[in-house]
Amino acid sequence: MPLVRTENLTKVYGQGETAVVALDHVNMSVDSGELVAVMGPSGCGKSTLLHLLGGLDRPTEGSVMIDGKSLSSLSDNALSQLRRRKIGFIFQFFNLIPILDAVDNAALPLLLDGANSKQAKEKATEWLERVGLGGRLNNRPDELSAGQQQRVAIARALLTDPMLVLADEPTGNLDSRAADEIAGLLHQVAKEWGHAVLMVTHDPRIAAYADRIIFLKDGTIVNETNLAAGDRPDAAGEVEERLTASGQMQPAAGQMRPASE
Amino acid sequence: MTVRHAVLGLLAQRPRHGYELRAAFEAVAGGSENWELKPAQVYTTLARMEKSGFVTEQAVEQDGGPEKRIYAITPEGEEELQAWFAKGTLPEHHRDEFYLKLMLALISGAANPYRLIHVQRNYLYRELHAITSQRTRADAGHELAKILLLDKAAMHLEADLRWLDMTEARLDEIRRQPLPEPETRPRGRPRKTPEDL
Repeated sequence: MPLVRTENLTKVYGQGETAVVALDHVNMSVDSGELVAVMGPSGCGKSTLLHLLGGLDRPTEGSVMIDGKSLSSLSDNALSQLRRRKIGFIFQFFNLIPILDAVDNAALPLLLDGANSKQAKEKATEWLERVGLGGRLNNRPDELSAGQQQRVAIARALLTDPMLVLADEPTGNLDSRAADEIAGLLHQVAKEWGHAVLMVTHDPRIAAYADRIIFLKDGTIVNETNLAAGDRPDAAGEVEERLTASGQMQPAAGQMRPASE
Repeated sequence: MTVRHAVLGLLAQRPRHGYELRAAFEAVAGGSENWELKPAQVYTTLARMEKSGFVTEQAVEQDGGPEKRIYAITPEGEEELQAWFAKGTLPEHHRDEFYLKLMLALISGAANPYRLIHVQRNYLYRELHAITSQRTRADAGHELAKILLLDKAAMHLEADLRWLDMTEARLDEIRRQPLPEPETRPRGRPRKTPEDL
């Protein structure tokens, strides 16, 4: 059974005539040890999907199952505890606290959870070393490069040993070299350390690090590519047949991404 | 073509025999899996260039096995090589097989152009994934030349993927426009227009 699974996940914002369907009966899953990329034009529902998977928002219809539990069955308290302990978040703009050094920033989730300060910092140091920042432990964010700041954020996300790591455009604010390094690190987070990682990106190069790409458009999955299926050259054909059968192969005049981007 | 000039470049390094040239070419072109050369291709290239005076047979070596002809570059060959270096190189982006498929799908109606784009996108993403994993495994400490080639491939795939997105977005509009057709030229002598009279 996959670690994370959605069932007809639907989110509608607003009501009546002004209602906007951000996510329309989406069924997807992420396994432990798997890196999955979500791509699609802005407004396709990527962020909504991430928010629902992270328990930051509640669906209008359908459900999110994490480790066999439906998020909608959890109380607000239990949900916030799951968010703090079982899900790690990584953001485009790192969201580090400017006055804290790398160790304190990385230790934050445990400190907020009421853990012993010394132990939290030890663990933070351990994770910072693992993501390659052993030499930058006592630097504040403004003394670190953008790539290094994102490493601190990744260490912070992994500190509570979450089952699921959600990354929202994790390389969106990095130059291409740092972006490659961060994508490689996320790949390692999944492959070597066994976490389930879901990242939203608009960058094909970054998405290519993933095991699978889910393409969203107008709130629905229009395509899903298993990139690691190198030994099955006609896998693309199979996906296509399935999509044709389900009537999803005739997209409207919409667009994946404007040329100017 | 390129192989000819690459052979000249390798002979400019030092004289070599055919088998050695083939191995050296494949190594420098990113490995035999990337650009395989048939032995016959090397020998016909050498024979042609010998005729043109660009290379010359320097010696015949025979240490037990079959004889090996050692080739060397001539002053004319060096000139030809310099002329190659002096010119710019246009990458092959204009003769594009996928573009041809797309146009023929549109013209003939025999395939769904959206499906072509879909299949192509999956194919390119898988290729990009394979190159990215090779790139990650390569050691920047001593394989930078190989990484350079992988980076080039990755960047081109990236551009191809962006172009696919753009094409998909414009497909409905393209369908409303006339498709490329040969210009119809009237036969015979052009008819005189009033201005000519």
